[in-house]
Amino acid sequence: MSRLTEFLAPKTVVRAHCDVPCGIYDPAGAVTAARTVARMVELIGQIEPGSTALADRNKFVRCVTVKEQHAELVKHEVQIIWSDYFKPEHLAANPDLHTKVWNLLKLAGKNKQSIDVEAAAQLEASVKEFAEIFWSTKK
Amino acid sequence: MRPALEPGDWLLLDPTVQAWPRRGSIVIVREPVSELLVVKRVAARPGDKVHWLGAPTRLDVDQAWLVGDDTARSIDSRTYGPVEQHRLVGRAWFRYGPIRRFGRL
Repeated sequence: MSRLTEFLAPKTVVRAHCDVPCGIYDPAGAVTAARTVARMVELIGQIEPGSTALADRNKFVRCVTVKEQHAELVKHEVQIIWSDYFKPEHLAANPDLHTKVWNLLKLAGKNKQSIDVEAAAQLEASVKEFAEIFWSTKK
Repeated sequence: MRPALEPGDWLLLDPTVQAWPRRGSIVIVREPVSELLVVKRVAARPGDKVHWLGAPTRLDVDQAWLVGDDTARSIDSRTYGPVEQHRLVGRAWFRYGPIRRFGRL
């Protein structure tokens, strides 16, 4: 019987919902990356001003590198959800979504260019708001 | 595609279709962007008007507008736009498993 079932069973699988299994979109990656950017700015601020100690210089370079990488990660994660996940009806419920994402991406760029506590806090808040919009569409 | 189709359903498809079948038909297409085989329903056919990117658009001679039945979760033409005919693999017309759901679609 099982051989018959095996013979009859389809050989090709087609999907119904998504290009990837449902629920795979998650803004958590962007939230963590934005938090990392803010933390790096904080750590950079703790380095003794004008210090030429190797340890401090090493820490500075590492923090800047991580800040750069995670600001880029914020952009990547947010852009994927923005372009692939959101649909017209989500936009109808959140008419300022495009503007918010645009500003968020610019803010990520600003965080790459500068070491700015205020800009980092704004980025964190913007990503948090983006995540809230995402979750509001899941209700 | 719930409730019309359930995960695990066994389908027969007609691979000889030469054009987009009539509205309401269930089709298998190779999805734009992901290039995966997906099952969707024909919501609009060539020449029909759809709303796309914030404006009314008339579908081209080889285009269809495909939507999944589970509209809240489906990724379909609302995300990737009209689908061209060369992506059409076949029309699903019969379910042969599970046995309690056996019959024409």
